[in-house]
Amino acid sequence: MLDRRDFIRAQAVAAAAAAGGMSLPAMAQTSMIAGEDAQLKWSKAPCRFCGTGCGVMVATKDNRVVATHGDMQAEVNRGLNCVKGYFLSKIMYGQDRLTQPLLRMRDGKYHKDGEFRPVTWDEAFDEMARQWKRALKEKGPDAVGMFGSGQWTIWEGYAASKLMRAGFRTNNLDPNARHCMASAAVAFIRTFGMDEPMGCYDDFEHADAFVLWGSNMAEMHPILWTRITDRRLAHKHVKVAVLSTFEHRSFELADIPMIFEPGTDLAILNFIANHIIQTGRVNKEFVEKHCNFRLGQKDIGYGLRPENVLEVRAANAKDPTDSKPMSFDEFAKFVSDYTVEKAAELSKVPKERLLALAELYADPKTKVMSLWTMGFNQHVRGVWVNHMVYNIHLLTGKISEPGNSPFSLTGQPSACGTAREVGTFAHRLPADMQVTNPVHRAHTEEVWKIPKGLLPGKIGYHAVLMDRMLKDGKLNAFWIMVNNNLQAAPNTNNETYPGYRNPDNFIVVSDAYPTVTASAADLILPAAMWVEKEGAYGNAERRTHFWHQLVTAPGEARSDLWQIMEFSKRFTTDEVWPADVLNANPQYVGKTLFDVLFRNGTVDRFPLSEIDPEYENRESKAFGFYVQKGLFEEYASFGRGHGHDLAPFDTYHQVRGLRWPVVEGKETRWRYREGLDPFVKEGEGVKFYGNPDGKANVFAFPYEPPAESPDKDFDLWLVTGRVLEHWHSGSMTMRVPELYRAMPMALVYMHPDDAQARGLRRGSEVTVMSRRGEMRTRVETRGRNRPPRGVVFVPWFDSARLINKCTLDATDPISKQTDFKKCAVKVVAV
Amino acid sequence: MPLESISTAPVPAGDEWHVASILVHLRPERQDAVHAAVTAMQGVEVHAEERGKMVVTVEGPQEGWIADRMTAIHLLDGVLSAVMVFHHVEPAEASAPQDI
Repeated sequence: MLDRRDFIRAQAVAAAAAAGGMSLPAMAQTSMIAGEDAQLKWSKAPCRFCGTGCGVMVATKDNRVVATHGDMQAEVNRGLNCVKGYFLSKIMYGQDRLTQPLLRMRDGKYHKDGEFRPVTWDEAFDEMARQWKRALKEKGPDAVGMFGSGQWTIWEGYAASKLMRAGFRTNNLDPNARHCMASAAVAFIRTFGMDEPMGCYDDFEHADAFVLWGSNMAEMHPILWTRITDRRLAHKHVKVAVLSTFEHRSFELADIPMIFEPGTDLAILNFIANHIIQTGRVNKEFVEKHCNFRLGQKDIGYGLRPENVLEVRAANAKDPTDSKPMSFDEFAKFVSDYTVEKAAELSKVPKERLLALAELYADPKTKVMSLWTMGFNQHVRGVWVNHMVYNIHLLTGKISEPGNSPFSLTGQPSACGTAREVGTFAHRLPADMQVTNPVHRAHTEEVWKIPKGLLPGKIGYHAVLMDRMLKDGKLNAFWIMVNNNLQAAPNTNNETYPGYRNPDNFIVVSDAYPTVTASAADLILPAAMWVEKEGAYGNAERRTHFWHQLVTAPGEARSDLWQIMEFSKRFTTDEVWPADVLNANPQYVGKTLFDVLFRNGTVDRFPLSEIDPEYENRESKAFGFYVQKGLFEEYASFGRGHGHDLAPFDTYHQVRGLRWPVVEGKETRWRYREGLDPFVKEGEGVKFYGNPDGKANVFAFPYEPPAESPDKDFDLWLVTGRVLEHWHSGSMTMRVPELYRAMPMALVYMHPDDAQARGLRRGSEVTVMSRRGEMRTRVETRGRNRPPRGVVFVPWFDSARLINKCTLDATDPISKQTDFKKCAVKVVAV
Repeated sequence: MPLESISTAPVPAGDEWHVASILVHLRPERQDAVHAAVTAMQGVEVHAEERGKMVVTVEGPQEGWIADRMTAIHLLDGVLSAVMVFHHVEPAEASAPQDI
């Protein structure tokens, strides 16, 4: 006789012990699923939140998701779940879910200052098409734009790219991933000629040292953090170094904790390069065979509006990407200024710790993994700092092998899969191709079966520039999908909001919930989310993974894919393509954009009968062919054969994701090394085949200060970021009551002495104020984040307290990614 | 939520019974202190321990109760991570002993 609860409890314990690699007294292998749960329908899906890409099992009953748990078969998380993943089943069921299109109306028709009124999809698209056609007619393709996301599924991003570039003939398409990892993506291309990490999560079990450059993995990537923790606790020699501008939860595991002055990571990295050279630990053979050296442009400005004094004063703000070849000796001389004394003075990190850190890289016996996310990427020198970390891995040859791994983490579930691989940036095409390259455009035109010369070669507006162009009235018809830009964008009250409410502009927001961005729109389109549609994401380790539609979306809500494709039916080629193109290609005359983009013989070649009969697929039923398969297979044809190879569509529905390149059914865990990567031939050893000469580029850059630093009027650094409980702007997690209650508001974290010096204490109500705006909140001096004196930290998830009213719209001049980590504020009592 | 209220609050009654298991990683030198703090929480039980690791179950009437304890454990001094592995829910009356 065993109590039923004892039995379930024992199952729970067994599962956790198995996931943690712990031994328990012999116990029968039991199913993860007990009791009534066993009667539910369980299907696999990747988690909806961060870029880790955990596998979850999703239970459905009566067209509703009723439970989720970590997928024991998923290699990424091996059954584990973080607190956000635990509540995945609830994100779709917030009380204010949008279920019908809403248009601002007055006297029965659209009016910019009208009230939101429910309309049909037809009415919504009629008005939207009217506005698009007006903008196109008055100003041409530059006047329309779209702001998407690293949360788009792969086919949604791909369909959007086709509609904007080939349909409307503009590259005014950018993802919110611009705010997240554009610096990382640009540095990958400039260094290796190919985007995305060479290593993978398996590096966690091979490295002897982990260095967190600004990343707080304990809160932002908790599942990956358990893998580092496991490695550190099980192997005494393993060391963890944590660098940040304030103390956070990841410091609990730090052997070498380092709090540095904002922006001085540049100096620390140059010091490490110098230390490697000065102590004779350069891997000379590797460097000679596999590296080029280049001197980068300095004094490149801060990506502010061109009339800003900082841009006028910068010597090279107009050509920030320039560089010229240099020798190894010249590089060595360049970094020789960065002594440990200089690095310690700039960063305020004690010399001994800097030396201990440098030794992790310099010691040839230590396999080292570098990890970073927004701390590096949201940086006015984000591209430089990404280059600098590759520099120290390349100088030592510690790259492209198990455990030696510079690893750029991502914050969104498909930042890699959709934003980067599909190419939804203003400058990119699929498979790392560029819109400025005529050969790349010609190849794309061929695959897409569109007239030669149709695709525009001009780089479109990037995220921050879109906001400026909306405000200045140059971008007039704008579609925002799966993101909350009014909350996420920098200096939002002065640079983003005015553009949305500019009377010249028509703003459309597709979302599942009424976010602050949706509230500022003219038309709101209700979106299906996550398992309400068939989807595919690509995570940070090049893993592509799929899921089926498991439930239907509520009311009139429809997926972004359906919205994009259905909207394309509202345009005929003669309305959007130049007459000379149509005269030369009469077979396209009179066709809709839907016909030429999606009924092109490639996208529509798989019949409905190929859909798994176990699962619903609304988009395919609406259009009459297997939409997702057709889009994926057309897209995948761009990458196959040269290192971006994806497996056949159907394979991904069977497996827990595969890491590309997938060649002859086998995934690739480490790229660029013989024996590990099928694209490196026998005898080549290491080959960075993304570049024509097979070599990686080491760049020399100096330390340069941030755009704004504290002064007597605004005397504190403001650093923004995230917390464990909420994902990004909180539009989903703030609607889960349990997560809302656990972390209901954004606090300002500050040092107790800084609080005391201002007559404040824990819980005091304060205003955080910059030159651009202010927000009200309360002081926290004892929380999980502990800034040093002179620094405050405020998370940005809270729509009632918008810290981005205070931030500065300075970007990296090369990647155009905003620096959300460095501006000057003051904190005063209310 | 302050830790004090986590550790002392009695388990409230409810219509549902939830049980979850959590894998905790911790600094080995803080193992005793973490063990003490975790066992002081109502509805939380330690089932297995190794150097730097612990398997605990949390039981309570709602998911929120479980999540609050998971977050509280995550934020304890010496705890490196606390992640959910298993969760089960059933009506509270289904608790009567029965043959398996």
